Amino acid sequence: MKEVKTPLIRLAKRDGIDPRKAWAIRIGSIFVALILGMIPIMLAGQNPFVSYGVIVNGALGKASYIRQTVKRAIPLLGCALAIAPCFKMRFWNIGAEGQITMGAIFASYFAIHLGPKGVPAFLMFIIMCLAGALGGAIWGFIPGFFKAKYNTNETLFTLMMNYIAIGIVRWLQGGPWEGRPGTQIIPMFTENARLPNVFGIYCGWIVVLIMVVLVHIYMNFTKHGYEVAVIGDSENTARYAGMNVGWIMMRTMILSGAICGIVGWMLVSGANGTLNSDVAGGVGFTAITVAWLSQLNSFAMIAIAMMLAIIGKGSATLQTKLDVPASVAEIVSGILLFCMLACEFFINYRIIFRHKKEAEV
Amino acid sequence: MKKSLIILLVVCLAAATMFVSCKKEAKAEAKPATKIGFVVINDESDQGYTWNFMNGMTAAMEKLKAEGYNVELVVKRNTTESAICKDYNIELADEGCKIIFNNSYGFEPYMLEAAKEYPDVKFVGMTNCGGQVDNNPNTYNAFASIYEGRYIAGVAAGMKLNQLLSEGKIKAPVVGYVGAFSFAEVISGMSGYFLGIRSVCPSATMKVYFVGTWGDATLEEAAAKALIDQGCVMISQHSDTTSPALAAQKAGVFHTGYNTDMTHAAPDASLISCRINWEPYFYTFIKNYLDGKDNTPDYTGTLAEGAVAVTELNEKIAAPGTKAKLAEVEADLKSGKIKVFDLSKFTIQGKEGTNEAMYDSFAAVQGNATYGGEFHESEFQSAPYFVGNIDGIEWLNAAY
Repeated sequence: MKEVKTPLIRLAKRDGIDPRKAWAIRIGSIFVALILGMIPIMLAGQNPFVSYGVIVNGALGKASYIRQTVKRAIPLLGCALAIAPCFKMRFWNIGAEGQITMGAIFASYFAIHLGPKGVPAFLMFIIMCLAGALGGAIWGFIPGFFKAKYNTNETLFTLMMNYIAIGIVRWLQGGPWEGRPGTQIIPMFTENARLPNVFGIYCGWIVVLIMVVLVHIYMNFTKHGYEVAVIGDSENTARYAGMNVGWIMMRTMILSGAICGIVGWMLVSGANGTLNSDVAGGVGFTAITVAWLSQLNSFAMIAIAMMLAIIGKGSATLQTKLDVPASVAEIVSGILLFCMLACEFFINYRIIFRHKKEAEV
Repeated sequence: MKKSLIILLVVCLAAATMFVSCKKEAKAEAKPATKIGFVVINDESDQGYTWNFMNGMTAAMEKLKAEGYNVELVVKRNTTESAICKDYNIELADEGCKIIFNNSYGFEPYMLEAAKEYPDVKFVGMTNCGGQVDNNPNTYNAFASIYEGRYIAGVAAGMKLNQLLSEGKIKAPVVGYVGAFSFAEVISGMSGYFLGIRSVCPSATMKVYFVGTWGDATLEEAAAKALIDQGCVMISQHSDTTSPALAAQKAGVFHTGYNTDMTHAAPDASLISCRINWEPYFYTFIKNYLDGKDNTPDYTGTLAEGAVAVTELNEKIAAPGTKAKLAEVEADLKSGKIKVFDLSKFTIQGKEGTNEAMYDSFAAVQGNATYGGEFHESEFQSAPYFVGNIDGIEWLNAAY
């Protein structure tokens, strides 16, 4: 009999895993990440334990630190909520960045044109929120439409749309909306176009928490959510069941874009106070990690978004307190994310070494 | 595999407890230093703008420490002109910084927002002009009359152009200027530079290319190259990196720099640089604060007090006699014998400049700076407000 060469390591899909074991793997992955993360910190000449302490303390040590941390978590959470339905449908919307920016542009239009006219703040709130949602929805609808009609590659399409949106902001910054000529700066919005603070943080946190509940209901207890899940599992099944797959895709992208647009509105109106081309600032991409790590569960997203915000804020403090370059802290958080995403792989697959196989035979 | 992981974890925990106990012992019982925050746009590796600021700050801190003041510097680098800037200001205030300096124009709107939340912390928006008029007593502005320094650098450039002309090496004395944004700070500086050139080389003309960013080595280099391709034989810049100097060196043309001595980057091209010496300002501001005295809401450093300076002349390539001439010009600028924006020395659309044509209507403080045969730059506010479009300077793009 010809001997078949077994590879040293093989992978096998797990049928199911004890949830306790799954959580053990997840927690283990964080530990592995923390240990690996010590390497860059030590290379930067710092004590890793002190550094980790600074990260945690810098994010949660004082009320004002916590406020800053929550401020970072708001757009991450909002945006993760937005892309969750798309990902559930296996529609790879990586255009959240652009949808946020477009929402920010639409909202800013009203802040700039209606703000100085003294429109009451609550009216501005509603107008800008709707405008933001509309802007994002349009930017989401376009790739959704082309995917539904012509089966274009949504990954590339949504990605490219990001650059167009950012380009539009650049043009507005240097063109029609520029304040002092030559500065490329859009002036700060008037007070009525700004979001009020609640507990020292702009009220966007309340908006996103409401959205967590709404998205959870939408995904789990509505016909729409069910359709999205069916398409995610098998497009053919959905078709066979008589679902209008194209329309569902467009509809979901409109919804996703609209939520991103609302995030964009909150960013310009709450955190930033004006519009600039950095408005999304990578949130649209980081939110993909948030959505994925929380396995598209909206409540889990709160925890994951907070976790990333803690790392982000903590890393910034690391720079201020220990003079560690911020990039080192970014490497550490990169390692952490990588390990956490990789651990999902080990939850789904089992590693089999060669000798084990031989023993079985 | 599991076993080894557990062992690794145990080792780590043991090490952690060890480190923690070490840390406790090391804690010294000293009176905490007064923290000074500094939000900067690039980092020292730009070898230009931020480097120059950091040098000034470091020197000031050392001087204060030598005098027995207990101060500590906390820096936030590579800050973008966006909400991140506000976060950095808040972060520094949270860390206990008593004074926070911001070194870029576009930081100010965000800095002013943070300043509202921390009334006990002093915020200084350098190169901008909003702090002095915003009714918040804890916000300040500062800049220097850098147009004087640019004028001197212009004289050095003009003399070199004269030499090249007389030697027949060039046909037309065309100067190329890499500008960041087309607003007062840059316009004022490039006009001062151009007038310096014209004072010795009256036939000179200048082309300006705006890059739309303060510091982007690639864009600045591309702009310098484009200018050289269009016949510019002398390059200068109002941007943060040394890449225009490198481009000049590669193309075999000459260069005058900003912020820092660029002769190390382009020894065969860079003649001289003008820079702001921030040390006196930082020193005085912090010292006043520590002594319980207040600071002026708007400070303008001048050539006469040493806040504006030129770097050492690169005599290897400078035209003969430049050094003596520069010393003379510098003395005359200090004494007021030479006025940079002397109305008789330039025209705007063929006519003498009016206040309306020259004074930036967007400046925080407005006034009539055009009197006594001169445009008085930096008199009403430290941030430049000269925006006159002088004849002889051609804007290749004004989108920024």
